[in-house]
Amino acid sequence: MYHLSEHQINFILDDIRARGVEMESLQQDLHDHICCIIENQLEANGDFMQFYDTVIKSFYKKELREIEEETISLLTNKNYYAMKKIMMISGTASAIVLSMGILLKFMHYPGAGALIASGILLFSFLFLPLMFTLKIKEKKQTKDKILLGLGSAVGILISLGILFKIMHWPFANIMGVTAVGILILLYLPINLVTGIRNPDTKVNTIVSSILLVAGCGLFLSLARSPQGSKSFYIKNTAYFVRNNELVRNEMQQIEELAASKNIVINESMKSRQIITVCEDLKSMLIWAETGNASIDGNFESKQAWIGETLSEVYFDPASKTYQKYQELLSLVQKYNEDHFGQPGFQPLPSTSVITLENNEKVLDVLNNLIQLELYLLQNEEKNLL
Amino acid sequence: MIYSSELIKGTLKTIVLKLLADHHRMYGYEITQKVKELTFEKIQITEGALYPTLHALENDGLVTVESEFIGKRVRKYYTLSPSGKTKTTEKVNELADFMNTMKFLLDIPSPTGFSAT
Repeated sequence: MYHLSEHQINFILDDIRARGVEMESLQQDLHDHICCIIENQLEANGDFMQFYDTVIKSFYKKELREIEEETISLLTNKNYYAMKKIMMISGTASAIVLSMGILLKFMHYPGAGALIASGILLFSFLFLPLMFTLKIKEKKQTKDKILLGLGSAVGILISLGILFKIMHWPFANIMGVTAVGILILLYLPINLVTGIRNPDTKVNTIVSSILLVAGCGLFLSLARSPQGSKSFYIKNTAYFVRNNELVRNEMQQIEELAASKNIVINESMKSRQIITVCEDLKSMLIWAETGNASIDGNFESKQAWIGETLSEVYFDPASKTYQKYQELLSLVQKYNEDHFGQPGFQPLPSTSVITLENNEKVLDVLNNLIQLELYLLQNEEKNLL
Repeated sequence: MIYSSELIKGTLKTIVLKLLADHHRMYGYEITQKVKELTFEKIQITEGALYPTLHALENDGLVTVESEFIGKRVRKYYTLSPSGKTKTTEKVNELADFMNTMKFLLDIPSPTGFSAT
Protein backbone atom coordinates (compact mmCIF):
# COMPACT_ATOMS: atom_id res chain seq x y z
CA MET A 1 0.00 0.00 0.00
CA TYR A 2 1.35 3.34 -1.10
CA HIS A 3 1.31 6.38 1.18
CA LEU A 4 0.51 9.62 -0.66
CA SER A 5 2.35 12.74 0.53
CA GLU A 6 0.57 16.06 0.96
CA HIS A 7 2.46 17.38 -2.06
CA GLN A 8 1.29 14.47 -4.22
CA ILE A 9 -2.33 14.90 -3.09
CA ASN A 10 -2.19 18.59 -4.04
CA PHE A 11 -0.49 17.72 -7.32
CA ILE A 12 -3.33 15.36 -8.30
CA LEU A 13 -6.00 17.99 -7.60
CA ASP A 14 -4.07 20.65 -9.52
CA ASP A 15 -3.64 18.27 -12.44
CA ILE A 16 -7.39 17.48 -12.52
CA ARG A 17 -8.10 21.22 -12.64
CA ALA A 18 -5.41 21.80 -15.27
CA ARG A 19 -7.00 19.13 -17.45
CA GLY A 20 -10.14 21.29 -17.67
CA VAL A 21 -12.45 19.81 -15.02
CA GLU A 22 -14.16 22.93 -13.62
CA MET A 23 -17.00 21.54 -11.47
CA GLU A 24 -15.70 21.49 -7.90
CA SER A 25 -17.90 18.57 -6.94
CA LEU A 26 -16.56 16.46 -9.82
CA GLN A 27 -13.00 17.52 -9.02
CA GLN A 28 -13.49 16.15 -5.48
CA ASP A 29 -14.94 12.86 -6.78
CA LEU A 30 -12.08 12.27 -9.20
CA HIS A 31 -9.45 13.43 -6.71
CA ASP A 32 -10.55 10.97 -4.03
CA HIS A 33 -11.01 8.19 -6.59
CA ILE A 34 -7.49 8.55 -8.01
CA CYS A 35 -5.98 8.77 -4.52
CA CYS A 36 -7.83 5.56 -3.56
CA ILE A 37 -6.56 3.70 -6.64
CA ILE A 38 -2.96 4.78 -5.98
CA GLU A 39 -3.11 3.95 -2.27
CA ASN A 40 -4.64 0.52 -2.89
CA GLN A 41 -2.90 -0.60 -6.02
CA LEU A 42 0.60 0.91 -5.98
CA GLU A 43 3.40 -0.82 -4.11
CA ALA A 44 4.76 1.08 -1.12
CA ASN A 45 7.99 1.80 -3.00
CA GLY A 46 6.35 2.17 -6.44
CA ASP A 47 6.91 4.98 -8.95
CA PHE A 48 4.15 7.54 -8.24
CA MET A 49 4.44 9.57 -11.42
CA GLN A 50 4.49 6.60 -13.76
CA PHE A 51 1.55 4.96 -12.00
CA TYR A 52 -0.44 8.21 -11.83
CA ASP A 53 0.10 8.73 -15.55
CA THR A 54 -1.31 5.27 -16.32
CA VAL A 55 -4.28 5.71 -13.95
CA ILE A 56 -5.34 9.12 -15.23
CA LYS A 57 -5.18 7.91 -18.82
CA SER A 58 -7.54 5.05 -17.99
CA PHE A 59 -10.22 7.61 -17.01
CA TYR A 60 -10.83 8.98 -20.49
CA LYS A 61 -10.69 8.35 -24.23
CA LYS A 62 -9.36 11.71 -25.44
CA GLU A 63 -9.19 14.02 -22.43
CA LEU A 64 -10.30 14.09 -18.82
CA ARG A 65 -12.72 16.95 -19.48
CA GLU A 66 -15.05 14.56 -21.31
CA ILE A 67 -16.27 13.27 -17.91
CA GLU A 68 -17.42 16.79 -17.06
CA GLU A 69 -19.04 17.23 -20.47
CA GLU A 70 -20.92 13.95 -19.99
CA THR A 71 -21.97 15.06 -16.49
CA ILE A 72 -23.23 18.41 -17.76
CA SER A 73 -25.13 16.78 -20.59
CA LEU A 74 -26.86 14.48 -18.11
CA LEU A 75 -27.52 17.30 -15.65
CA THR A 76 -28.93 19.77 -18.08
CA ASN A 77 -31.74 19.10 -20.42
CA LYS A 78 -31.47 17.41 -23.77
CA ASN A 79 -31.42 20.78 -25.50
CA TYR A 80 -28.13 21.66 -23.83
CA TYR A 81 -25.98 21.32 -26.93
CA ALA A 82 -28.51 23.05 -29.17
CA MET A 83 -28.76 25.92 -26.68
CA LYS A 84 -24.98 26.09 -26.40
CA LYS A 85 -24.69 26.25 -30.18
CA ILE A 86 -27.29 29.02 -30.44
CA MET A 87 -25.51 30.88 -27.63
CA MET A 88 -22.18 30.72 -29.45
CA ILE A 89 -23.71 31.71 -32.81
CA SER A 90 -25.75 34.59 -31.32
CA GLY A 91 -22.71 35.81 -29.36
CA THR A 92 -20.47 35.79 -32.43
CA ALA A 93 -23.20 37.34 -34.61
CA SER A 94 -23.90 40.13 -32.12
CA ALA A 95 -20.16 40.93 -31.85
CA ILE A 96 -19.77 41.07 -35.65
CA VAL A 97 -23.00 43.03 -36.28
CA LEU A 98 -22.18 45.50 -33.51
CA SER A 99 -18.62 46.04 -34.79
CA MET A 100 -19.90 46.60 -38.34
CA GLY A 101 -22.49 49.05 -37.01
CA ILE A 102 -19.84 51.01 -35.12
CA LEU A 103 -17.62 51.07 -38.23
CA LEU A 104 -20.50 52.41 -40.37
CA LYS A 105 -21.31 54.98 -37.69
CA PHE A 106 -17.72 56.29 -37.73
CA MET A 107 -17.76 56.41 -41.54
CA HIS A 108 -21.19 58.16 -41.51
CA TYR A 109 -22.68 55.49 -43.76
CA PRO A 110 -26.37 54.57 -43.62
CA GLY A 111 -27.52 51.46 -41.75
CA ALA A 112 -25.30 52.05 -38.72
CA GLY A 113 -28.21 52.52 -36.33
CA ALA A 114 -30.00 49.36 -37.51
CA LEU A 115 -26.82 47.25 -37.19
CA ILE A 116 -25.93 48.59 -33.74
CA ALA A 117 -29.50 48.07 -32.53
CA SER A 118 -29.61 44.49 -33.93
CA GLY A 119 -26.23 43.68 -32.34
CA ILE A 120 -27.31 44.95 -28.93
CA LEU A 121 -30.71 43.24 -29.11
CA LEU A 122 -29.10 39.91 -30.10
CA PHE A 123 -26.63 40.27 -27.24
CA SER A 124 -29.22 41.29 -24.63
CA PHE A 125 -32.14 39.07 -25.54
CA LEU A 126 -30.49 35.93 -26.91
CA PHE A 127 -26.84 35.57 -25.91
CA LEU A 128 -27.04 36.76 -22.28
CA PRO A 129 -30.28 34.91 -21.34
CA LEU A 130 -28.95 31.68 -22.94
CA MET A 131 -25.62 32.08 -21.17
CA PHE A 132 -27.48 32.57 -17.89
CA THR A 133 -29.72 29.52 -18.47
CA LEU A 134 -26.80 27.26 -19.33
CA LYS A 135 -24.41 28.46 -16.63
CA ILE A 136 -26.91 28.52 -13.76
CA LYS A 137 -27.23 24.74 -13.97
CA GLU A 138 -23.49 24.31 -13.49
CA LYS A 139 -23.47 26.48 -10.35
CA LYS A 140 -24.01 24.55 -7.15
CA GLN A 141 -23.76 27.26 -4.53
CA THR A 142 -26.56 29.78 -4.03
CA LYS A 143 -24.14 32.71 -3.97
CA ASP A 144 -22.75 31.69 -7.38
CA LYS A 145 -26.29 31.52 -8.75
CA ILE A 146 -27.10 34.96 -7.32
CA LEU A 147 -23.89 36.46 -8.71
CA LEU A 148 -24.56 34.95 -12.15
CA GLY A 149 -28.13 36.30 -12.11
CA LEU A 150 -27.00 39.77 -11.04
CA GLY A 151 -24.17 39.78 -13.59
CA SER A 152 -26.53 38.83 -16.43
CA ALA A 153 -29.09 41.45 -15.37
CA VAL A 154 -26.36 44.12 -15.25
CA GLY A 155 -25.11 43.07 -18.71
CA ILE A 156 -28.62 43.33 -20.19
CA LEU A 157 -29.32 46.66 -18.47
CA ILE A 158 -26.04 48.26 -19.57
CA SER A 159 -26.35 47.17 -23.20
CA LEU A 160 -30.03 48.19 -23.40
CA GLY A 161 -29.20 51.48 -21.65
CA ILE A 162 -26.59 52.23 -24.31
CA LEU A 163 -29.08 51.29 -27.06
CA PHE A 164 -31.68 53.64 -25.53
CA LYS A 165 -29.05 56.36 -25.22
CA ILE A 166 -27.98 56.25 -28.86
CA MET A 167 -31.59 56.00 -30.02
CA HIS A 168 -32.50 59.02 -27.81
CA TRP A 169 -35.20 56.97 -26.08
CA PRO A 170 -36.24 57.80 -22.53
CA PHE A 171 -34.95 56.00 -19.38
CA ALA A 172 -31.46 55.35 -20.82
CA ASN A 173 -29.70 57.09 -17.93
CA ILE A 174 -31.88 55.33 -15.35
CA MET A 175 -30.91 51.96 -16.85
CA GLY A 176 -27.20 52.80 -16.74
CA VAL A 177 -27.33 54.10 -13.18
CA THR A 178 -29.41 51.09 -12.04
CA ALA A 179 -26.89 48.70 -13.61
CA VAL A 180 -23.93 50.41 -11.90
CA GLY A 181 -25.95 50.54 -8.67
CA ILE A 182 -26.58 46.77 -8.79
CA LEU A 183 -22.89 46.16 -9.47
CA ILE A 184 -21.61 48.34 -6.63
CA LEU A 185 -24.32 47.80 -4.02
CA LEU A 186 -25.18 44.13 -4.56
CA TYR A 187 -22.73 42.23 -6.77
CA LEU A 188 -19.57 43.68 -5.24
CA PRO A 189 -20.47 43.12 -1.54
CA ILE A 190 -21.77 39.56 -2.15
CA ASN A 191 -18.70 38.66 -4.20
CA LEU A 192 -16.34 40.25 -1.69
CA VAL A 193 -17.87 38.83 1.48
CA THR A 194 -18.21 35.27 0.16
CA GLY A 195 -14.94 35.16 -1.77
CA ILE A 196 -12.57 36.78 0.72
CA ARG A 197 -13.23 34.15 3.41
CA ASN A 198 -11.85 31.34 1.29
CA PRO A 199 -8.03 31.46 1.12
CA ASP A 200 -8.15 29.92 -2.40
CA THR A 201 -10.33 32.68 -3.84
CA LYS A 202 -9.13 35.59 -1.66
CA VAL A 203 -6.66 37.12 -4.13
CA ASN A 204 -8.94 36.65 -7.13
CA THR A 205 -11.84 38.21 -5.23
CA ILE A 206 -9.80 41.27 -4.28
CA VAL A 207 -8.51 41.68 -7.84
CA SER A 208 -11.99 41.27 -9.38
CA SER A 209 -13.45 43.75 -6.87
CA ILE A 210 -10.77 46.33 -7.74
CA LEU A 211 -11.47 45.82 -11.46
CA LEU A 212 -15.20 46.19 -10.82
CA VAL A 213 -14.81 49.44 -8.88
CA ALA A 214 -12.37 50.80 -11.48
CA GLY A 215 -14.72 49.81 -14.33
CA CYS A 216 -17.74 51.45 -12.66
CA GLY A 217 -15.61 54.53 -11.92
CA LEU A 218 -14.62 54.80 -15.57
CA PHE A 219 -18.23 54.32 -16.66
CA LEU A 220 -19.47 56.98 -14.23
CA SER A 221 -16.69 59.39 -15.23
CA LEU A 222 -18.31 59.45 -18.69
CA ALA A 223 -21.61 60.48 -17.17
CA ARG A 224 -22.32 64.16 -16.52
CA SER A 225 -23.03 65.14 -12.92
CA PRO A 226 -26.23 67.07 -12.08
CA GLN A 227 -24.02 70.09 -11.33
CA GLY A 228 -22.29 69.62 -14.70
CA SER A 229 -25.67 69.52 -16.46
CA LYS A 230 -26.75 72.69 -14.68
CA SER A 231 -23.68 74.69 -15.72
CA PHE A 232 -24.03 73.33 -19.29
CA TYR A 233 -27.68 74.51 -19.42
CA ILE A 234 -26.74 77.90 -17.94
CA LYS A 235 -24.04 78.37 -20.57
CA ASN A 236 -26.42 77.45 -23.41
CA THR A 237 -29.20 79.66 -22.06
CA ALA A 238 -26.77 82.58 -21.79
CA TYR A 239 -25.89 82.10 -25.49
CA PHE A 240 -29.57 82.20 -26.37
CA VAL A 241 -30.24 85.31 -24.25
CA ARG A 242 -27.30 87.14 -25.88
CA ASN A 243 -28.43 86.12 -29.38
CA ASN A 244 -31.95 87.29 -28.59
CA GLU A 245 -30.50 90.59 -27.39
CA LEU A 246 -28.70 90.97 -30.75
CA VAL A 247 -32.02 90.51 -32.59
CA ARG A 248 -33.71 93.19 -30.45
CA ASN A 249 -30.85 95.64 -30.99
CA GLU A 250 -30.92 95.00 -34.72
CA MET A 251 -34.69 95.61 -34.82
CA GLN A 252 -34.28 98.86 -32.91
CA GLN A 253 -31.51 100.06 -35.22
CA ILE A 254 -33.61 99.29 -38.29
CA GLU A 255 -36.57 101.14 -36.84
CA GLU A 256 -34.33 104.17 -36.15
CA LEU A 257 -32.89 103.96 -39.67
CA ALA A 258 -36.39 103.74 -41.14
CA ALA A 259 -37.57 106.68 -39.06
CA SER A 260 -34.62 108.77 -40.28
CA LYS A 261 -35.73 108.04 -43.85
CA ASN A 262 -39.41 108.62 -43.06
CA ILE A 263 -40.27 105.03 -43.83
CA VAL A 264 -42.86 103.32 -41.67
CA ILE A 265 -42.20 99.74 -40.64
CA ASN A 266 -45.48 98.05 -39.76
CA GLU A 267 -46.66 94.64 -38.78
CA SER A 268 -48.29 93.98 -42.12
CA MET A 269 -44.93 93.68 -43.86
CA LYS A 270 -44.09 90.07 -44.86
CA SER A 271 -40.82 90.11 -42.90
CA ARG A 272 -42.54 91.48 -39.79
CA GLN A 273 -45.25 88.81 -40.06
CA ILE A 274 -42.57 86.14 -40.04
CA ILE A 275 -40.73 87.79 -37.14
CA THR A 276 -44.01 87.86 -35.15
CA VAL A 277 -44.54 84.14 -35.75
CA CYS A 278 -40.91 83.48 -34.75
CA GLU A 279 -41.39 85.48 -31.54
CA ASP A 280 -44.62 83.58 -30.78
CA LEU A 281 -42.89 80.26 -31.32
CA LYS A 282 -39.96 81.31 -29.13
CA SER A 283 -42.37 82.36 -26.37
CA MET A 284 -44.25 79.06 -26.57
CA LEU A 285 -41.04 77.04 -26.35
CA ILE A 286 -39.55 79.18 -23.56
CA TRP A 287 -42.79 78.86 -21.61
CA ALA A 288 -42.89 75.08 -22.07
CA GLU A 289 -39.23 74.67 -21.19
CA THR A 290 -38.83 77.14 -18.31
CA GLY A 291 -42.31 78.08 -17.11
CA ASN A 292 -41.59 81.76 -17.99
CA ALA A 293 -43.07 83.69 -20.92
CA SER A 294 -39.67 85.18 -21.68
CA ILE A 295 -36.18 85.07 -20.25
CA ASP A 296 -33.52 87.75 -19.92
CA GLY A 297 -30.20 88.25 -18.14
CA ASN A 298 -31.82 87.27 -14.81
CA PHE A 299 -32.67 83.74 -15.94
CA GLU A 300 -30.16 82.20 -13.53
CA SER A 301 -31.77 83.69 -10.43
CA LYS A 302 -35.19 82.49 -11.68
CA GLN A 303 -33.72 79.03 -12.35
CA ALA A 304 -35.19 79.35 -15.84
CA TRP A 305 -32.65 77.64 -18.02
CA ILE A 306 -33.15 75.78 -21.27
CA GLY A 307 -32.49 72.06 -20.95
CA GLU A 308 -31.97 69.29 -23.48
CA THR A 309 -35.60 68.45 -24.24
CA LEU A 310 -36.08 67.11 -27.75
CA SER A 311 -38.13 69.46 -29.91
CA GLU A 312 -40.48 66.62 -30.91
CA VAL A 313 -41.84 66.71 -27.35
CA TYR A 314 -43.35 70.16 -27.96
CA PHE A 315 -44.13 69.74 -31.67
CA ASP A 316 -46.81 67.12 -31.52
CA PRO A 317 -48.83 67.39 -34.79
CA ALA A 318 -51.98 68.21 -32.77
CA SER A 319 -50.30 71.00 -30.78
CA LYS A 320 -50.59 74.78 -31.26
CA THR A 321 -46.80 74.94 -31.50
CA TYR A 322 -46.88 72.64 -34.49
CA GLN A 323 -49.61 74.70 -36.17
CA LYS A 324 -47.48 77.80 -35.61
CA TYR A 325 -44.51 75.99 -37.10
CA GLN A 326 -46.52 75.08 -40.21
CA GLU A 327 -47.66 78.70 -40.50
CA LEU A 328 -44.02 79.79 -40.31
CA LEU A 329 -42.97 77.37 -43.07
CA SER A 330 -45.65 78.60 -45.46
CA LEU A 331 -44.86 82.26 -44.70
CA VAL A 332 -41.16 81.66 -45.32
CA GLN A 333 -41.90 79.94 -48.62
CA LYS A 334 -44.16 82.83 -49.72
CA TYR A 335 -41.54 85.39 -48.64
CA ASN A 336 -38.85 83.66 -50.68
CA GLU A 337 -41.12 83.45 -53.73
CA ASP A 338 -42.16 87.12 -53.49
CA HIS A 339 -38.61 88.43 -53.18
CA PHE A 340 -36.97 86.00 -55.58
CA GLY A 341 -34.53 87.72 -57.94
CA GLN A 342 -34.44 91.06 -56.11
CA PRO A 343 -30.92 92.55 -55.92
CA GLY A 344 -29.15 91.80 -52.63
CA PHE A 345 -31.96 89.51 -51.42
CA GLN A 346 -30.91 86.64 -49.13
CA PRO A 347 -33.39 83.75 -49.42
CA LEU A 348 -34.44 82.31 -46.06
CA PRO A 349 -33.09 78.79 -45.49
CA SER A 350 -36.45 77.54 -44.27
CA THR A 351 -36.30 73.75 -44.38
CA SER A 352 -32.68 73.26 -43.33
CA VAL A 353 -32.63 75.85 -40.53
CA ILE A 354 -35.91 75.20 -38.81
CA THR A 355 -36.16 71.46 -39.33
CA LEU A 356 -37.54 69.35 -36.48
CA GLU A 357 -35.86 66.19 -37.68
CA ASN A 358 -32.60 64.53 -36.54
CA ASN A 359 -33.52 64.81 -32.88
CA GLU A 360 -33.20 68.58 -32.77
CA LYS A 361 -33.29 69.92 -29.24
CA VAL A 362 -35.45 72.88 -28.17
CA LEU A 363 -32.31 75.00 -27.84
CA ASP A 364 -31.40 74.27 -31.48
CA VAL A 365 -34.88 75.28 -32.65
CA LEU A 366 -34.71 78.52 -30.62
CA ASN A 367 -31.29 79.43 -32.03
CA ASN A 368 -32.48 78.59 -35.55
CA LEU A 369 -35.48 80.91 -35.13
CA ILE A 370 -33.09 83.69 -34.09
CA GLN A 371 -31.00 83.09 -37.20
CA LEU A 372 -34.14 83.30 -39.33
CA GLU A 373 -35.00 86.64 -37.72
CA LEU A 374 -31.48 87.94 -38.38
CA TYR A 375 -31.76 86.97 -42.07
CA LEU A 376 -35.05 88.92 -42.31
CA LEU A 377 -33.65 91.95 -40.52
CA GLN A 378 -30.58 92.01 -42.76
CA ASN A 379 -32.85 91.94 -45.82
CA GLU A 380 -34.87 94.84 -44.37
CA GLU A 381 -31.65 96.76 -43.67
CA LYS A 382 -30.40 96.29 -47.24
CA ASN A 383 -33.71 97.66 -48.56
CA LEU A 384 -33.42 100.72 -46.36
CA LEU A 385 -29.80 101.41 -47.33
CA MET B 1 -15.59 -12.19 -20.10
CA ILE B 2 -16.04 -8.47 -19.41
CA TYR B 3 -19.40 -7.11 -20.57
CA SER B 4 -19.40 -4.32 -23.14
CA SER B 5 -20.01 -0.74 -22.06
CA GLU B 6 -23.15 -0.57 -24.24
CA LEU B 7 -24.74 -3.31 -22.12
CA ILE B 8 -23.74 -1.64 -18.86
CA LYS B 9 -24.78 1.88 -19.89
CA GLY B 10 -28.51 1.18 -19.71
CA THR B 11 -28.30 -0.57 -16.37
CA LEU B 12 -25.78 1.64 -14.55
CA LYS B 13 -28.36 3.74 -12.71
CA THR B 14 -30.07 0.58 -11.46
CA ILE B 15 -26.76 -0.96 -10.37
CA VAL B 16 -25.73 2.17 -8.42
CA LEU B 17 -29.16 2.58 -6.81
CA LYS B 18 -29.29 -1.09 -5.73
CA LEU B 19 -25.77 -0.98 -4.28
CA LEU B 20 -26.63 2.13 -2.28
CA ALA B 21 -29.83 0.48 -1.10
CA ASP B 22 -27.84 -2.51 0.15
CA HIS B 23 -24.86 -0.67 1.64
CA HIS B 24 -26.41 2.54 3.00
CA ARG B 25 -23.63 4.95 2.00
CA MET B 26 -20.72 4.55 -0.39
CA TYR B 27 -18.10 6.64 -2.14
CA GLY B 28 -17.25 6.40 -5.83
CA TYR B 29 -14.18 4.18 -5.64
CA GLU B 30 -15.97 1.87 -3.23
CA ILE B 31 -18.86 1.45 -5.69
CA THR B 32 -16.52 0.44 -8.55
CA GLN B 33 -14.71 -2.04 -6.30
CA LYS B 34 -17.92 -3.52 -4.93
CA VAL B 35 -19.30 -4.08 -8.44
CA LYS B 36 -16.03 -5.72 -9.50
CA GLU B 37 -16.07 -7.96 -6.45
CA LEU B 38 -19.74 -9.01 -6.74
CA THR B 39 -19.49 -9.78 -10.45
CA PHE B 40 -16.10 -11.52 -10.31
CA GLU B 41 -14.71 -8.63 -12.36
CA LYS B 42 -17.13 -9.26 -15.20
CA ILE B 43 -18.59 -5.78 -14.79
CA GLN B 44 -16.09 -2.95 -14.46
CA ILE B 45 -17.67 0.44 -14.10
CA THR B 46 -15.56 3.22 -15.61
CA GLU B 47 -15.11 6.51 -13.81
CA GLY B 48 -16.26 8.28 -16.96
CA ALA B 49 -19.65 6.60 -16.65
CA LEU B 50 -20.00 6.41 -12.86
CA TYR B 51 -19.61 10.06 -11.89
CA PRO B 52 -21.92 11.58 -14.52
CA THR B 53 -24.53 9.01 -13.36
CA LEU B 54 -24.02 9.83 -9.67
CA HIS B 55 -24.34 13.55 -10.39
CA ALA B 56 -27.48 12.97 -12.44
CA LEU B 57 -28.97 10.88 -9.59
CA GLU B 58 -28.11 13.69 -7.17
CA ASN B 59 -29.67 16.25 -9.48
CA ASP B 60 -32.85 14.16 -9.68
CA GLY B 61 -32.99 14.05 -5.87
CA LEU B 62 -32.55 10.26 -5.74
CA VAL B 63 -29.28 10.36 -3.80
CA THR B 64 -27.87 12.76 -1.23
CA VAL B 65 -24.22 13.62 -0.72
CA GLU B 66 -22.17 14.07 2.42
CA SER B 67 -18.60 15.37 2.20
CA GLU B 68 -15.93 14.34 4.67
CA PHE B 69 -12.29 15.30 4.86
CA ILE B 70 -9.91 12.34 4.54
CA GLY B 71 -6.63 14.03 5.40
CA LYS B 72 -6.10 16.68 2.73
CA ARG B 73 -8.80 15.47 0.37
CA VAL B 74 -12.57 15.48 0.34
CA ARG B 75 -14.47 12.19 0.15
CA LYS B 76 -18.06 12.30 -0.98
CA TYR B 77 -20.41 9.66 0.38
CA TYR B 78 -23.55 8.95 -1.60
CA THR B 79 -26.75 7.82 0.19
CA LEU B 80 -30.21 7.00 -1.15
CA SER B 81 -32.89 9.58 -0.47
CA PRO B 82 -36.44 8.40 0.39
CA SER B 83 -37.51 8.93 -3.23
CA GLY B 84 -34.34 7.07 -4.30
CA LYS B 85 -35.45 4.03 -2.31
CA THR B 86 -38.79 3.92 -4.13
CA LYS B 87 -37.04 4.46 -7.44
CA THR B 88 -34.63 1.58 -6.73
CA THR B 89 -37.49 -0.89 -6.35
CA GLU B 90 -39.06 0.40 -9.54
CA LYS B 91 -35.81 0.20 -11.51
CA VAL B 92 -34.90 -3.29 -10.25
CA ASN B 93 -38.38 -4.60 -11.08
CA GLU B 94 -38.24 -2.98 -14.48
CA LEU B 95 -34.85 -4.55 -15.20
CA ALA B 96 -36.00 -7.99 -14.01
CA ASP B 97 -39.00 -7.76 -16.28
CA PHE B 98 -36.79 -6.59 -19.14
CA MET B 99 -34.44 -9.55 -18.61
CA ASN B 100 -37.35 -11.97 -18.75
CA THR B 101 -38.59 -10.35 -21.94
CA MET B 102 -35.09 -10.58 -23.44
CA LYS B 103 -34.87 -14.24 -22.53
CA PHE B 104 -38.14 -14.82 -24.29
CA LEU B 105 -37.22 -12.65 -27.26
CA LEU B 106 -33.80 -14.17 -27.79
CA ASP B 107 -34.93 -17.65 -26.83
CA ILE B 108 -32.30 -18.04 -24.14
CA PRO B 109 -32.59 -21.27 -22.17
CA SER B 110 -33.15 -20.71 -18.44
CA PRO B 111 -30.60 -22.21 -15.97
CA THR B 112 -33.05 -25.02 -15.12
CA GLY B 113 -32.87 -26.24 -18.66
CA PHE B 114 -36.34 -25.22 -19.76
CA SER B 115 -36.68 -23.08 -22.82
CA ALA B 116 -38.37 -19.71 -22.46
CA THR B 117 -40.76 -20.83 -25.17
